[in-house]
Amino acid sequence: MQPRGVFWSIYREALPVLAIALLGGLCSGLVLSGLLDSVADFPGLLVMVPVFLATRGNVYGSLGGRIATGLHQGLIHPRFEWNERLANAIIASLINAVGLSIVIGTLSWGVLTLLGREPAPLVVLVGIVLIAGLMTAVVMIGGLLTLLFAGYKAGRDPDNLVGPIVTTLGDVFGMAFLFLAVMIVEVLVS
Amino acid sequence: MALFTDDALGSWGAGHIIRTMFPLLVVLSVIVLWAGITLEDANELLDRYGLLAVMVPAMIGMGGNLGSILSARLSTRLHLGTTTFDPTDRLLWANVAAIFALAATIFTALAVGVWLFGIAVGTGLSLGQLLVISLASGLSIAAIAVVASVVATYGSYRLGIDPDDTTIPIVTNVVDVFGMVVFLAISRWVLVG
Repeated sequence: MQPRGVFWSIYREALPVLAIALLGGLCSGLVLSGLLDSVADFPGLLVMVPVFLATRGNVYGSLGGRIATGLHQGLIHPRFEWNERLANAIIASLINAVGLSIVIGTLSWGVLTLLGREPAPLVVLVGIVLIAGLMTAVVMIGGLLTLLFAGYKAGRDPDNLVGPIVTTLGDVFGMAFLFLAVMIVEVLVS
Repeated sequence: MALFTDDALGSWGAGHIIRTMFPLLVVLSVIVLWAGITLEDANELLDRYGLLAVMVPAMIGMGGNLGSILSARLSTRLHLGTTTFDPTDRLLWANVAAIFALAATIFTALAVGVWLFGIAVGTGLSLGQLLVISLASGLSIAAIAVVASVVATYGSYRLGIDPDDTTIPIVTNVVDVFGMVVFLAISRWVLVG
C-alpha cells in the first residue's frame, strides 16, 4: 500500500474508536473530580489513581496485544471456545492483576510514609485497590474478549482496537470501581 | 491443562507470561508512582480549576492509546517480518503522521468537550485557554508516545524479547508519567503563570 493510503486507513480506522475512548475518558474524569472529595478521608488515594489506572493498561493491554497477534497468526479463533493458549493468557493476566494490586497499595503507603506524609493505614489502601482491582478484572477480561472477537469478525484490524478498548473500559470501569471500593471501605472502616 | 509447564505452549504458557511480565509490572508501577505524587501535589490546582481533573484521565489515556496503536502495528509487522526500522521507510513515517493527525483531532475535541461541560456547570475556563492546554500537552504527549513506541519495539526486538509482552506496558507508562507532568506543568503555566 502507498504511504498516503496507509495514513488514511489508520486515521479512518482509529478515529471512531478514539472518539469513543475520549467519551470514556471524560466520564471517568467526572468520577475523578467526584473522588477528590474523599481524598481528605483517605490520604494517599490520589497517589494511587494513576498507578491503578496504569495497571489495567499494563495487564490487559498486553493481554489484548497477545490476543491480537494470536488472531493474526491464526493461533486463536474469534470465538468463546476452549483454547489452552487463551486460557493460559487469561489466568496469567488475572494473577498479575491481583498481585499488582497488593504491590500498588503497599508501595503507595511505603513511599508516602518515607516522605513523611502520613497516609491512610496500609490495610485500608491495599483493601481499596484490591477490591477495585478484582471488580475491574472481571469486566476487563470479558469486555476485551467480546469486543476484540466482534471487531475481528467485522473485519477490523485488532491491533487498532486493543489500546482504545483497554483504555476506555479501564478508564470508565477502573474509576467507577475505584469510587465504589472507596465507598465500601468507607462503610467497613466507620 | 499445562498451566505452568511451558514446553508445549512456548511463550503462551501462564507461567512464562507471569515470569516475563510481573517484574516489569512492578518496576513500571514504581515509575508511575511519580505521576501519582505529581497529581497529589497538584491537588490545590485541581480544587481551584475543577475542569482540569475532568481532563486528566482522557489526557493520559489518549496518549497511551496513540502509543499503543503505533506499537501494536510495529510489533505485528515485526512478527510478520515486514518492518525494517529504516529511517527512509516511508510507510513508517505514514504511521507516525497518522498518529499526529489523530492527536490534533482528538485533543481539539477534548478541549471543546470540556469547555461545553464547563458552560453547563458554570465553572468556565475560556475555550482559548482550554485549546492551548489541550493541544500543547496533547501534541507533546503524542511526540513522547511515538518516540517511546519506536524505541521500545526496536529495543525489545534487539534484546530478543517478544515486543507484545513489553512495548505496550512501557509506552503507556512512559506516556502516563510524562503526560501527567507535562499536562500539569502546561496547565499551571497557562492558568497561574
